[in-house]
Amino acid sequence: MASQRQYAATPAMASGNAEDVAASISAFLASKHVPPTQAWMNGFMSTIRLNTPIVALQKTALFRLLATDITTSITKSPASCFAANITDPQVKEKHVRGPITVQVLDIEDIGRSRWSQVEAIEAQERGETTKGREVIRVVPDENSSDAATQTESKSSGPHKLLLQDAYGMHVYAMELTPINGVGVQMAIGAKLVLKDFIVARGVLLLEPRNVEMLGGKADTWDKKWREDRKKVLKEKAA
Amino acid sequence: MVTKVLCVAEKPSIAKAVANHLAGGQVQTRNVQGNPYVKNYEFSYNFPTWGQCSVTMTSVLGHLTSHEFDPQYKSWRSCDPSALFEARIDTIVEDDKKPVAENIKRQAAYNKVLYIWTDCDREGENIGTEIRSVATQGNQSFRQPGNTVRARFSNIERAHIINAARSPVQLDEAQSNAVSARIELDLRIGASFTRNLTMSLQPMLQQRSGEDRSQVISYGSCQFPTLGFVVERYIRVRNFVPETLWGIKVMHEKDRIKVNFNWARGHLFDRMAVIILFERCLTAKTARVTKVQTKPTSKWKPLPLTTVELQKCGSRFLRLDSQRVMQVAEQLYQKGWISYPRTETDQFDRGMDLRALVQKQTQGGPWTQFAQDLMNGGFSQPRSGRNNDKAHPPIHPVNFVVPASLSQEEQRVHEFVVRRFLACCSQDARGSKTEISILYGSEIFNTSGLVVLEQNYLDVYPYDKWTSSQDLPDFREGEVFEPTEARMNEGQTSPPGYLTEPELIALMDANGIGTDATMAEHIAKIKDRDYVQTRPRARQQRQQGEEEEYEPAEAAEPDAGAGRGRGRGRARARGGRGGGAGRGGGATTGVQEFIPTTLGVALVEGYENMGFETSLTKPFLRKEMELRMKAICEGRKTKAEVVHESIEQYRDVYIRTQQRLDSLRAVTGTLVGTPGQNGILVSGTE
Repeated sequence: MASQRQYAATPAMASGNAEDVAASISAFLASKHVPPTQAWMNGFMSTIRLNTPIVALQKTALFRLLATDITTSITKSPASCFAANITDPQVKEKHVRGPITVQVLDIEDIGRSRWSQVEAIEAQERGETTKGREVIRVVPDENSSDAATQTESKSSGPHKLLLQDAYGMHVYAMELTPINGVGVQMAIGAKLVLKDFIVARGVLLLEPRNVEMLGGKADTWDKKWREDRKKVLKEKAA
Repeated sequence: MVTKVLCVAEKPSIAKAVANHLAGGQVQTRNVQGNPYVKNYEFSYNFPTWGQCSVTMTSVLGHLTSHEFDPQYKSWRSCDPSALFEARIDTIVEDDKKPVAENIKRQAAYNKVLYIWTDCDREGENIGTEIRSVATQGNQSFRQPGNTVRARFSNIERAHIINAARSPVQLDEAQSNAVSARIELDLRIGASFTRNLTMSLQPMLQQRSGEDRSQVISYGSCQFPTLGFVVERYIRVRNFVPETLWGIKVMHEKDRIKVNFNWARGHLFDRMAVIILFERCLTAKTARVTKVQTKPTSKWKPLPLTTVELQKCGSRFLRLDSQRVMQVAEQLYQKGWISYPRTETDQFDRGMDLRALVQKQTQGGPWTQFAQDLMNGGFSQPRSGRNNDKAHPPIHPVNFVVPASLSQEEQRVHEFVVRRFLACCSQDARGSKTEISILYGSEIFNTSGLVVLEQNYLDVYPYDKWTSSQDLPDFREGEVFEPTEARMNEGQTSPPGYLTEPELIALMDANGIGTDATMAEHIAKIKDRDYVQTRPRARQQRQQGEEEEYEPAEAAEPDAGAGRGRGRGRARARGGRGGGAGRGGGATTGVQEFIPTTLGVALVEGYENMGFETSLTKPFLRKEMELRMKAICEGRKTKAEVVHESIEQYRDVYIRTQQRLDSLRAVTGTLVGTPGQNGILVSGTE
């Protein structure tokens, strides 16, 4: 993006002019597909010192913005959000150009049974994965040809995600092929930018080429998600 | 002047065998006063070290001395159990061993050299030092290093024994100390915890179950973790929640062959996801072949045989539990048919003459021809595993014996050892494997075909299975076709089975508890103490494509004697005979699985509830103790250090247990003895 390059090429101190600084930060964030609302910018500007190097300010802004709830912190437009009928299961296939910025509300490993995931959590709670106190519970049998059960407990994915755009719309997505950074250890509230993807029967099908991982996290959501995880998995299994 | 040498073996049968080998049959046998089993064998022998000698060979009956607390601690009420961590321990000779000890002392006075012939493992080294200390009471000079020596041998075959006799070594004090440390720790920890547990729980248990018999709840630092594994699996099975899963199956018929393709993803646990992916396959209509690869493949011949492996295979293939397998193997060793059955070594020393051993097996038995073929050029050096305990080679046959002259159980074990050894000296089985991948929609599907070209080791080792699959039709890379059939299917996850003995042994091994020599004993103990029961596992549904396991021919009668046919009849007894609560040892129908009793579950749950630092039912405390034993053997730690460290660890647990005793009582109380309940958790019909 031309604007991005232009600003990155000038590692100068901020001019000291609040308006210019805000504009440059806004433009930087927009180039990252997270254009801030005026309200958020105002909040941010009140916390900074205007004579800090502009690159540092941009980075800080991005870091903080990625920790927010995008339904309140970034500007919305039809181009940057999901179409209203995207979840329509009647539509066999649809192609969406994007870019659309989303945050991750939930993630599930659908390649493993929920019960085996519960057992893994319980083993960890019992301290069986602590270094020096490990307990091996499944011994790989040299003669066993049943590869399916061996790998089941260790597999990761594919993953099914619950995503939300800036308008607050919920949409399910699935990894077609493994995407770096996507997994049950990823932060809830992480932001992704989606481009050039297929929607099949209302579910997004994602591959690495469709997804740019911005990162970030929503602390309270993430914490709650991890606390509730075992309970939720148990309920889903039953 | 003829030197007089006193040789002492661990068991009478070994003494007799060694005496006869060395003396060439010219042996004079004398009885020993007070014991009908032990004999003194007198003969002459020319040892390189001492020249012409007059030899007296005798034996003990396992451990000569035992250890007890000072009498003031004997009664349970005499002290707080924790006092046993420090209480003095006396070394005594029990009444039934007194004649044996007396014999040694008496003979010691007449002899100049003490030559120890106990089995070459840690316990044997320890028994060797016991013998030395008793012998020293009859002859002080045995204390001097040169006057006590030790034979290093791995089997009772004549040439091997003569060779061993001519190259004595010193007793390994480090190994002996490791065993002393273990004995002391087992005594202190076992006794203190047993007393504590029993006194704390007994009143409540008695009240609940209404029985008059006072039940001792015994504790052993290895038994509890073993029990822990059984209980954990039991609970996993009980708590299991089955879940539905979905998959996609593709079948294509070509050249009149129906080929099944397997989904690369296996199966998924989200129905919608699978529907969507399946629909995209159907929309794509055709599949394209992305990979066709044919390459040679082989099934590796087995590794040389270790104790753990023998126990596992005994359970799986020979229908003998681990304790019985080891007893039978011990008998075969004492009779001189196989090498020492307690070993962790799974590699054969390069210098060992394996061909000579194969040659011996050409004399008879169902493997004669196979052995002959190996001698005629088919011989191949065995694979090497990663373990070498430096004490004994892998278990192998040492001599030829006519199978019919062995008892029925001995035959099964002996046959297994021979076949395994011959398999080790064969070639890997060879075949050709074809793998085909197709891309259908966005999804990948695979299939494979196997052609077994050379059975090689499989011809002598029926315990492994490898069979050709059906022929695959020709596929070309880039070929496009419309699959004959594509459909979604649904299934369910199913619970794991209860632990079988081979699985339990594997877990104990993987988690570092129990040595090869003791695992079987610990398993036997938890059965004895009523912490677990065994029952035959019901025959499970065969999965498609799964090989059928080796089944031994069922004998009509145990010990039927000579001339028994060796047909592989399929007349096996149904596994469910007798159902539930039989004592497992030695049962010969079906693989045995372990079910904990209510008491077993109560103990494990009780300890789990007390928190992770106290858990005696987890393997790590025992594992650390075993590692410390090893450190003593390797000279890195002293016995005193190890005893001190381990006692401190367990004392810590003891104190925590005391603090949370109520918690333990609560759990045990709820689980055990509603009046009338007899501790059996799973009915025979389940």
